[in-house]
Amino acid sequence: MPLFGKSQKSPQDVVKSLKEALLAVSKGSTGEKKADKATEDISKNLAHIKGILYGVGDQEPQTELVAQLSQEMYNHNMLLLLIMNLAKVDFEGRKDVVQIFNNMLRRQIGSRAPTVEHICCKQDILSELMKGYENQEVALNCGQMLRECCRSEELAKILLSSSQFYKFFDYVEVSTFDIASDAFSTFKELLTKHKMLSSEFLEANYDRIFDNYQSLLNSENYVTRRQALKLLGELLLDRHNFTTMTKYISNPDNLKLMMNMLREKSRNIQFEAFHVFKVFVANPNKPKPILDILLRNKEKLVDFLTKFHTERSDDEQFNDEKAYLIKQIKELKSVDES
Amino acid sequence: MAENVVVPTDIFLAPNEYGHSTLEHVDQLDFLNDSDGGLPFFHRVESSEVVYQPRRKKAKMVGKYLVGDLLGEGSYGKVKEVIDTVTLCRRAVKILKKRKLRKIPNGEQNVLREIQLLKRLHHKHVVFLDDVIFNDEKQKMYIFMEYCVCELQEMLESATDKKFPIFQAHYYFKQLVEGLIFLHSRGIVHKDIKPGNLLLARDETLKITDFGVAEEIALHAFDDTCHTSQGSPAFQPPEIANGEDSFPGFKVDVWSSGVTLYNMTTGKYPYDGDNIYKLFNNISKGVYTIPDSIDSVLTNLLHGMLAFTPDKRMTIEQVQLHDWVRKRHPRSLDYVKFPPPKEGLDKHHSMSVMQYLDDLHCPEEDEECDEYEDEFHIQQNNGKKPQNDVDDTPIPDPKHKKRKTKGGLLSSCKQS
Repeated sequence: MPLFGKSQKSPQDVVKSLKEALLAVSKGSTGEKKADKATEDISKNLAHIKGILYGVGDQEPQTELVAQLSQEMYNHNMLLLLIMNLAKVDFEGRKDVVQIFNNMLRRQIGSRAPTVEHICCKQDILSELMKGYENQEVALNCGQMLRECCRSEELAKILLSSSQFYKFFDYVEVSTFDIASDAFSTFKELLTKHKMLSSEFLEANYDRIFDNYQSLLNSENYVTRRQALKLLGELLLDRHNFTTMTKYISNPDNLKLMMNMLREKSRNIQFEAFHVFKVFVANPNKPKPILDILLRNKEKLVDFLTKFHTERSDDEQFNDEKAYLIKQIKELKSVDES
Repeated sequence: MAENVVVPTDIFLAPNEYGHSTLEHVDQLDFLNDSDGGLPFFHRVESSEVVYQPRRKKAKMVGKYLVGDLLGEGSYGKVKEVIDTVTLCRRAVKILKKRKLRKIPNGEQNVLREIQLLKRLHHKHVVFLDDVIFNDEKQKMYIFMEYCVCELQEMLESATDKKFPIFQAHYYFKQLVEGLIFLHSRGIVHKDIKPGNLLLARDETLKITDFGVAEEIALHAFDDTCHTSQGSPAFQPPEIANGEDSFPGFKVDVWSSGVTLYNMTTGKYPYDGDNIYKLFNNISKGVYTIPDSIDSVLTNLLHGMLAFTPDKRMTIEQVQLHDWVRKRHPRSLDYVKFPPPKEGLDKHHSMSVMQYLDDLHCPEEDEECDEYEDEFHIQQNNGKKPQNDVDDTPIPDPKHKKRKTKGGLLSSCKQS
């Protein structure tokens, strides 16, 4: 307990006074003076809560106080309340909310994670966090909290199976660059973090996801296009997503898209496209429509690939793969011939 | 010349030998005290007691790397510490001699495969391959990798009962599982998971190493069927001990990780045998016990990972979601620390390239000292002669003794 400074309030008191202040701000009808007082109270109480969770100065956090505080936060549904009113909390206060949320989420008792269980029961918390991407002021704070949620398989599952997930396809394209990138990293985390979960998700919702994904690959925005293409390559080359990969590479439209991207102006996009294109060519059981496209473009492709990114002479793997693809394409025969 | 000798002869003799004090001469010796305190208390050292320090090795560069001291030695060659003089990253180098490599079955082929795989694998829990340099003239191959302090195996050997406390075993095991999930997602079966192939970085991050017998599943292969395995016998699953023609690869790694976990927590192996035939015979019977000291949650996990048939065995993803892995284990005090390194290296695992850096960058300072020391040497020789009947008695060379104590320009930068 600090010798000087604020008197030590019990977790119950802190949560109670934080709740009152939050309710006061959320009504918004009170006078200016009162509103200022409430905002100030919020910041003070948040700092206090953070102190209990992280410890003050050299002091380690006290397990007993942390347990009491968490219980009190769950009882008053404080996490939801905080996120819903996040825009009304001042800048430093928002950062405290993120730290409080993330600390509580990591808390474990044996193999149980009480905050994860709490959020599983109060799924509004997740949908409020998702909505955060629509508000510039709190988008990045919500992003940080969402990614912390992604670490838990249970919460990632809820996020993936909600219809809100498809909003990510809009969020990653918003005009504010930092928000779009933040949304993209959360999106990527959800699709790659828990291998079994995401591979089942991709398989089960293949059509809906890849319809939407197509729009990212065709985006006007260079960054979106490049990031989406890179992630596509990662997803398809991950063995966990074998079924999805097989399905993706049997669709001739996908092959056409990749062949066009090989000729994009940006060399980075060309290079990323190469890593998806190679999967089509290396497939030993190419469906007829895929084989037909490759056969029709056989000479052009060999010629194109021979001149493709020749300056990458020190990238052994790339050159091996390129040589392999050229050989494969040269040896292509139509089904009738063989 | 005798008049010019500043140092009185008897100063080099222990005072008790001649019974008279040498203190009256001390004032004249102030300049010497700068480098070596307490000259008046020099003791006479018998030539037989003199331990010669080998002369400090000269700095040696391989490419952009400055080579430091020896870290370990394997069947293929030496491992030395190095520093990348461009990025200043601390690295280790495996020096492979073609001659030695040829004697190991599949030696060259395995090394080349390892290099080819590691170049593409970038993950927190997979050892990082920085660069490979070939020297055709010397018939040597230098593989520069991430610097690690030791193998889990060495740590286990230094621990009481050759096991870790539960929380520590859990800490390493969790990282192993994460690393394996990454490898499997890239279609790579390691096939030789064991404590000897798990390294620890300075911050105790676990790194999977030795991909010499690893297999890459073809991109379009329908499943992970493998046909060969050259891993360590005690860590092989029944399907390999039985000599099956084909088996699912990823489950091999699950089994070996199970044996590794068993070993880290009990200090024993689930299956034993005096020789490889008896061992494989025992493994193929599938009867093993788990000591009572292991709690029920961990026992359940071990049974899941050591299930006899691959189909019944857990997947590595299931292992990650198992209660024992997700659980937070209380810290206990019997934490096993990094074992002290081999003789001659310091126990803090400080950078050993410092003295070589010193040699590389401050050669002039050294020469000055040499001159001074040589002079000192002669005086000492002259002074001693009258007392010594035999002229050719080797005189302890202060150069070598002093070298050790003299702080180089960079010695103060040493990390501890």
